[in-house]
Amino acid sequence: MPDGSFSHPQQRQFNPYSDNGGTILAIAGADFTVIAGDTRQSEGYSIQTRYAPKVFRLTDRAVLAVNGFAADGNMFVKKVKQRLEWYRHAHAKDMPLRAIARLIQTMLYAQRFFPYYVYNILGGIEEDGSGAVYSFDPVGSYEREACRAAGAAQSLVQPFLDNQIYFKNQAAAPNQSHPAHLPLPDVLSIVIDSFTSATERHIEVGDGLEIYVVLAKGRSAQGLEGARGIQELSTKSDGDRVFVIRRELKKD
Amino acid sequence: MFLTRSEYDRGVNTFSPEGRLFQVEYAIEAIKLGSTTVGVRTPEGVVLGVEKRVQSPLLESSSIEKIMEIDAHLGCAMSGLTADARTMVDHARVTAQNHAFTYDERIRIESATQAVCDLALRFGESVHDEEALMSRPFGVALLIAGVDEGGPQLFHTDPSGTFVRYDAKAIGSGSEAAQSELQDKWHSQMTLREAHLLTLRVLKQVMEEKLDQHNVQLAQVTPSKGFEILDEVKLKEIIDAM
Amino acid sequence: MAAASVYTPAGFDFSNEVRNSFLTERGIPLPKATSTGTTIVGCLFKDGIVLGADTRATEGPIVADKNCEKIHYISESIRCCGAGTAADTEFTTALISSNIELHALTTGRKPRVVTAMTMLKQMLFQYQGQIGAALVLGGVDATGPHLFTIHPHGSTDKLPYVTMGSGSLAAMAVFENGWRPNMERAEALELVTAAVSAGIFNDLGSGSNVDACVITATHTEMLRNFVKPNERVQKERSYTFRRGTTKFKKEDIRSLVVSEDVIHTGEAMDTS
Repeated sequence: MPDGSFSHPQQRQFNPYSDNGGTILAIAGADFTVIAGDTRQSEGYSIQTRYAPKVFRLTDRAVLAVNGFAADGNMFVKKVKQRLEWYRHAHAKDMPLRAIARLIQTMLYAQRFFPYYVYNILGGIEEDGSGAVYSFDPVGSYEREACRAAGAAQSLVQPFLDNQIYFKNQAAAPNQSHPAHLPLPDVLSIVIDSFTSATERHIEVGDGLEIYVVLAKGRSAQGLEGARGIQELSTKSDGDRVFVIRRELKKD
Repeated sequence: MFLTRSEYDRGVNTFSPEGRLFQVEYAIEAIKLGSTTVGVRTPEGVVLGVEKRVQSPLLESSSIEKIMEIDAHLGCAMSGLTADARTMVDHARVTAQNHAFTYDERIRIESATQAVCDLALRFGESVHDEEALMSRPFGVALLIAGVDEGGPQLFHTDPSGTFVRYDAKAIGSGSEAAQSELQDKWHSQMTLREAHLLTLRVLKQVMEEKLDQHNVQLAQVTPSKGFEILDEVKLKEIIDAM
Repeated sequence: MAAASVYTPAGFDFSNEVRNSFLTERGIPLPKATSTGTTIVGCLFKDGIVLGADTRATEGPIVADKNCEKIHYISESIRCCGAGTAADTEFTTALISSNIELHALTTGRKPRVVTAMTMLKQMLFQYQGQIGAALVLGGVDATGPHLFTIHPHGSTDKLPYVTMGSGSLAAMAVFENGWRPNMERAEALELVTAAVSAGIFNDLGSGSNVDACVITATHTEMLRNFVKPNERVQKERSYTFRRGTTKFKKEDIRSLVVSEDVIHTGEAMDTS
């Protein structure tokens, strides 16, 4: 119409979500957990930044990896951290890992009809001192597992983890059985190899790697001291401890 | 309007010039009219005991409910205006369920107690022109007993919204005598059985009627079995052993 | 010999078109073609042309080939970089290469870059953009050095420095900043390497190595994997499996060696 109005109904669409690539994974050991993620953030064929952390220390015993839509992910982590702080004030203790897992479920499900476009993997140490990994879908379905990969290269990494951690499609040697948990150095090697391989074959994975290691209270940090680029993030030395290892990945 | 001195006890949200809230103080007085209620904490668990005043032979004593479950690991006994306690226990139950729903763990005893006390202070509260939710303070005191990761615990709450932790506490009409008796007899290494007996002995001392399984009620919270109200058979056995 | 029952014309076969669009409508998408997300560039220098390309081929977000060749042969002094659908760039350049060779034989002259450019644009225009080839064509002929870009719909540009593919903006930024007329060979090669590297590191569709090709009137030098800035990283563990790791239900060993006795009968063949 000349006056600027329309004679027919017009439809407009706004898509509030985007996919910012990257990959995360976590593996639980007997008395430790490793949680890792690459640091590339991309949209389409462009790199937005080569260093955007996707893995966050929540407490001395809990680490959260968030992947998917970066804006939602960052906001979600912010809100989880706020709830953790409120809990600490209300109940005079750090929230246990399984309580954080349940909290994340309720926070995700609260957005059931306008979800946070994120895949969460929570790793850390349970109250009984065992390593644990919890994985979530965007609306809050969750379960405890020994290992999980998520994000852009999930379809590349998860089958590798199934084979190397759960020993899927591998027959044990005669009169022997597969170990239920791998030692820390083996897990670290598998994590690093997962990411170098994902970087080789997935265009959205690369630039940097951050590996968080959570050790149960009383477990020695043996096997970690020597690691290149390691840094301790714990607030206490006599409880569960958190370390981060930073590595480079290919940048093409 | 000018308020005379004697009129300061009318409003729940007006301090007297001496800095007192008379309505709250009167509410605390109301508890002293209630039946005696006792709580005893031991390393094995917490025991709660109440006197049921059976005012008439026609009264069905089992219908008097003065000990209530809040959650599987947590319960309370009351003294004062017991009708008010329903509101508080309902609130505590919802808070405990909310906590379990959100965090997949049992609420701490102190947190549940805090929640109840937060509610106790909500009298006279109103937003804009809306009608206040509660017009007066609660006229009841609670002994909240439970077991959490910090072990067996006993808390006392009063209408001012204050809560304190006790090893052993008595409230209600006979509380003064009962409390001094508890102070004499309580020791830190008591067994649960000893706590049962102590609770009943203290109640017996302050009760006018002869104590039997119909006019007292006993409950316990233990790490293994949580909150339970003892049935009359069990109660009679303890009374007989007294 | 009996004639074929159905006449098949030369060129593309469109007989599955109706079926495929029906399937697409029903929600069964066409299989993804390998595409070279790609950074391809070319620039003019004092003595001729330098072409450059990355070596990554992708299928969606997956790297299909880490070291593919994107600088295609047209003639000795004409080369063509291809971006877009890998099969289209390979077939189109190969077809034009053949036709250029025939043309050279017919005319008895060295082929010209404009000839190749015209043949390419006419073919691409004929197919209305359905052939997903975006090309950088460069070479030196009797009339001097020439550099073109050809878009999938058939439009062309003639410029002193050009870029194409998903990394074209990253590469063009380098050219806009660093290109000058009458550069030396080494300078031009360095600039092209920098332009392709900008694509490799800043565009997710491009990656791995730099291929380059320097064309002068007298000589063409193909510099395959001129720079390799993205060598594979050493793995932390070895992933060999113990013999017997894979379970099996039955074992069947067959002998594939066939022994045969040849017995001579009759007379030997007359080979006189």
